[in-house]
Amino acid sequence: MSGTHEGTFQGLRAQLQEAAATFADGPDALEGILLGIVDDVDRAVREPLEIFPVCHHSPASAIAMARRLREKRPKVVYLELCEDMAPLLTELRNCKLPVAVQSFATEVEGFPAEWSPLSVVAPITEASAEYQAIAYALDTPGVELVLVDRSSDHVFQWDARGTESAEPADPAAPPAEEEAPLHGDAVGVEIGDLRPRFAELEEYLLRHGKVRHWSEWWHQYVELPLGDSDHDTYRQVMLLIGSLFRRLAPGDPHRVRVDEDRERYMWTRMREHLAAAGADPADCLYVCGAFHAASRVAEFGVHGTDTFEISPPTATTWQHGLIPSSHAAIEAQFGLAAGSVSIAATVWAKNLGRTRVEPFRLVGQVGAKKSRARKAVAAAAAVPALPPSDKLTGFLRQTPALDRLDEAELLGWSVEIVRAARRNGYLASTADAIAVFETSILLAGMRDRTRPTPYDFQDAAVTCIEKDTVPGRRDVRRLVDIMMGGDRVGQVGYDALPPLARDVHDRLAPLGLKLQQSGVRRALLDITSQPELERCSDVLWMLRYLMPQGAARPIMGERKLGERPIQESWDLALGTHQRALIELGYEGVSIEQVLEQRLRRLAYDRRATAASVLEAVEDATLYLRSRRLADELGTHALEVLSAERSVDGAPEVLRRVRRLLAYYRTSEAVLPPWIESFVKTGYAHYCTLLPTAFTDDDATVRQVAAMLGFLFSMESLALSLGCDRNQLELAVVQSHPEEPSRTALLWAAQVHLGRLSRADLRARCDELLGNPLVVPAYPRYLSGFVHALDPVPGLTDFVVEAVSNAFGRLPDPVLLPWLPTLITTLRSGGSELAPLLIREAGRTFPGRLAALDTWVPPWRAQPEAVRPARPVEAVHGCALLAAHPATCDAVASLLGCEGTWETADSGPAGVALAGRHPDTAVALEALLADA
Amino acid sequence: MSDLLRAPAEIKYAEELEWLESVDDSPKPFSWRLSPKMVRLFILGSERSDGLDREISQKWYGDRSFVERSIVTLASDRGLLLIGDPGTGKSWLAELLSAAICRNSTLVVQGTAGTTEDHIKYSWNVSMVIAKGQSRESMIPSPIMTAMESGAIGRFEELTRSTSDVQDALISILSEKYISVPELDSDGIVFAKPGFSIIATANSRDRGVNDLSSALKRRFNFVRIPVVTNKKSEVEIVRFRTEELLRRHQIELEVPPTLLDVLLQSFADLRASAAAAGSDDEKLESALSTAEQIGVLEDAVLHSNFFGERALTARTLASSLVGSLARREPEDLAILNKYLHGVVEPRSKEEGGSWPEFLEGGRDAIATLS
Repeated sequence: MSGTHEGTFQGLRAQLQEAAATFADGPDALEGILLGIVDDVDRAVREPLEIFPVCHHSPASAIAMARRLREKRPKVVYLELCEDMAPLLTELRNCKLPVAVQSFATEVEGFPAEWSPLSVVAPITEASAEYQAIAYALDTPGVELVLVDRSSDHVFQWDARGTESAEPADPAAPPAEEEAPLHGDAVGVEIGDLRPRFAELEEYLLRHGKVRHWSEWWHQYVELPLGDSDHDTYRQVMLLIGSLFRRLAPGDPHRVRVDEDRERYMWTRMREHLAAAGADPADCLYVCGAFHAASRVAEFGVHGTDTFEISPPTATTWQHGLIPSSHAAIEAQFGLAAGSVSIAATVWAKNLGRTRVEPFRLVGQVGAKKSRARKAVAAAAAVPALPPSDKLTGFLRQTPALDRLDEAELLGWSVEIVRAARRNGYLASTADAIAVFETSILLAGMRDRTRPTPYDFQDAAVTCIEKDTVPGRRDVRRLVDIMMGGDRVGQVGYDALPPLARDVHDRLAPLGLKLQQSGVRRALLDITSQPELERCSDVLWMLRYLMPQGAARPIMGERKLGERPIQESWDLALGTHQRALIELGYEGVSIEQVLEQRLRRLAYDRRATAASVLEAVEDATLYLRSRRLADELGTHALEVLSAERSVDGAPEVLRRVRRLLAYYRTSEAVLPPWIESFVKTGYAHYCTLLPTAFTDDDATVRQVAAMLGFLFSMESLALSLGCDRNQLELAVVQSHPEEPSRTALLWAAQVHLGRLSRADLRARCDELLGNPLVVPAYPRYLSGFVHALDPVPGLTDFVVEAVSNAFGRLPDPVLLPWLPTLITTLRSGGSELAPLLIREAGRTFPGRLAALDTWVPPWRAQPEAVRPARPVEAVHGCALLAAHPATCDAVASLLGCEGTWETADSGPAGVALAGRHPDTAVALEALLADA
Repeated sequence: MSDLLRAPAEIKYAEELEWLESVDDSPKPFSWRLSPKMVRLFILGSERSDGLDREISQKWYGDRSFVERSIVTLASDRGLLLIGDPGTGKSWLAELLSAAICRNSTLVVQGTAGTTEDHIKYSWNVSMVIAKGQSRESMIPSPIMTAMESGAIGRFEELTRSTSDVQDALISILSEKYISVPELDSDGIVFAKPGFSIIATANSRDRGVNDLSSALKRRFNFVRIPVVTNKKSEVEIVRFRTEELLRRHQIELEVPPTLLDVLLQSFADLRASAAAAGSDDEKLESALSTAEQIGVLEDAVLHSNFFGERALTARTLASSLVGSLARREPEDLAILNKYLHGVVEPRSKEEGGSWPEFLEGGRDAIATLS
């Protein structure tokens, strides 16, 4: 460390030594720290490759950077930013800042699966030194920009999750604003993180600086004094601060190791680049956080050792993109005081005007004002490097630079805040503006400054305007934040979007809406008159499926199997949810591809059930209209169903299969093979499970009813495909439920299969009602019957009868407690069953009150009236058809059948049949003969 | 000083104030005895970096910006209204400010439902009026009027307890800065001298009882003083106040730090449960402020001194806590009972220390009360 230039800081060293001796009663740690700091500064200043220390969101850093770049015009700029983010930086010109460069990985290899998705963001604002460096390097011919910090992969390789807790946020920070979650749960990386590493030091600095939070301290004690300083002073002071915080850090071993490894990484990369490109270190500039500039690792410097080995990246595939960011999001992510980034932006804009420094801006930067004459770029010539001189002593000795009171500015603020307060419901008047103005000056005076800072002004405004209640949504503190610049939300321009997002915007272009802008836009799609909008509708439905709630919200219109859209209206907020759209872009090149991947992932998930796979099939048909994918997923559903051993998903499976069957029957000539197999397998599967389900306590009545529903309603199709009905009959015979509701369900099934007549069923119910011992269980039988309506809809009239009987005959102590259960059962499980019951009841009961007196329930009148009527009715029908053969002839010709009319009394039909088909009789004869 | 039960701040810290005045060379507004920075220093205490020859103790604990905002308000044209929960130190801050600024913190009007306009303006000495007629001599000025005449700070405690029409008497005092006395033919106006201002305090729990009119609100700057929840500052406040009380009662008794921890912890627990409570019945009536803690400790100390063994025990502390906080029966008792069983009991099993004795004492106290 002691070299030829040792004399540079000799004076300062002597002074500090003396100070240490005075304050610490002799040479000890204090002297070590103080002299160590000077050593650090000395070492960094003497480094042949110029180190430019910066601090994040520091307008002073940005101004100093712009100035230095114009003076030195370096040929290579090394920047402390993840090296894999380099290709994206040129896209910054297409964005409205602030935006964040993002690295994203969903398929994780080499990291614990629960970390997925991995995401790293580096927000970039215009008022930052790094943007100056990027803009200069990208737009100046012959200048190379090299990112040297560890890659996103290494960020996670060096991550010690679970072993350390998250950093505490600034205690003064108010609750997060709406824009705060703009970065999602990404890990933030920032250039120039500079803040005391232990709480006591920060608290001490805040107390003595008479400020409330760190951003205010920095603004007051570093930003302002450094605002107009020359390059050497700026550099030495920043190095000093970096070294101070470094030496006074509590020494968390993991954190120190990561910091030092990053420094090793950066210097190793720089040396590699210097060797490869053959650049002269004197023509290069290394931009890094002041904390890293004061490094003491052996690898530091152009002549440092090459002992650090960079570990290879894992097999994780990283995707890169730009996502919108905002001041509030940056403050929330990095624990800064609310409003501090906005204030930095305002100060930067003001400093530019005051210092007349020409900032660098990427050519064609979206959202930037037209740049003034760029003469300065050409005019400035490189300044020869001078030997470093001690600027620190002077800086440390000078009294705090007092900014003069800017009366006009303060008056403007005071008037503005009163207007804003009035708009927000406060009873504020000109008198308040005067009071705010006066109080700001008094407060600043108490805090040893002439010019009130924005924070002093905020305090004054709160004192004078805020009363006991906040009348509107925002309080005075927040209003001042907004006034001082407010939050600014960035936007990623069209050209910088990933192909998927661009494709979405292109396909939605026919809507004629500015969807890139934030806010909600209403889209009206009249598809009947403009059929080309149907494709937009397809895109919107897919976006609704893929994006977070609120990005695309249908107001009118729905998408169901087999239906075509006519008119739709949507609320679209794609601009607001730009990050989500961009992150979709990491998954594929088109939304169809992403949707297909998602559906496939859903279907092949370990926890997928037959119902969820069928849902994926439905979605594939609905959104992608993809028969190929639907077939593939359907086949998979079949496998999942065969492997299932529980009947939990039965209702859902039944609902979905019915819907899909109905769709295929109406839209396709033949059923897809998978659904035929599904019905076949399902029939066998549920037949097998039926006896167990009837007795299994875990299976609910609804599930068993759904199984029966599947079996009965798919029966004809299943039998036509070769299933055996015996299987079902056997299953029913083997079922012996004990629980009343399931018993009722079984009876209903038996009626459906013809194993039990309605008269017997009625007799059983009567018996139940007549037996005082089982009467209390009757309601449960009834709930079984109600569930049976789905598989056996023919029993509706009987259920009405049973319920009526219950009302008529059940004693009140049994009936009344059961009524709520009936209502809740009908409401939750039987929303489609209730209308059936009500319609049937409407048919059964008299419509008018007067008719009630003479009304006899049909089930009581039935024995005499209905039974003999049946055969007569049958004869009636035949006679009618025979009397008017034209109808049947017409139907027959329509169906392509040819036949002649035969008279009813043309001999015994059975004999003719046996005569026509003698095989049966022959077989029977042989059988009897054997016996 | 020793013959006063409780000396006002300007007497208690007279020597400190004298010294501060002698070294204060910064500009002072109006007729202030100290400059704003010195007022702040007097209240918040000095640090090495202030470069003073002697140490000034901290007298009020809380965010420094509250003090700064209060001081600048008094230096401006408006009155100062300190608003906050009971026991947050509003009146103490008001007293310190008055003592530092004008060396008189006793010009106080106490707001109650019975406060009349006379208490704020002036009244008459009836026998003198009969003897000599209405004159300046027979007039009894209110503390506020006295403050106006002498350019001092007048205090109005519990402003929102007095009725709205009485409150509104302050409007003209705060804007015109004079009181007219129509009964007098000549010399009928009392003008305020430079330096006059008003510090009012209001209890935020009284909101809605007698709301301030908009006209009066406009003439006050509001400074809201929150309940101290920072454990470190709370320890300091409790220690500071208790020492003061012990000195006042001339009691030689040590408060063991472990018991102080028990007290702070139990208040922190009760505050957490009050914050989580759904209705008023589920939380204690007490605001659980720092002042209440001091009250509990003082009560326990006095009890131990006079009836105990001249040493503070956890048992006494618990019975004092229950006695001070149980105001409504059965709601408050039920909450305290739940607290003892649900929180203190497991803790006394896990941590031991003073907790088992504290639990015992609490149970006994509840048994006595219910």
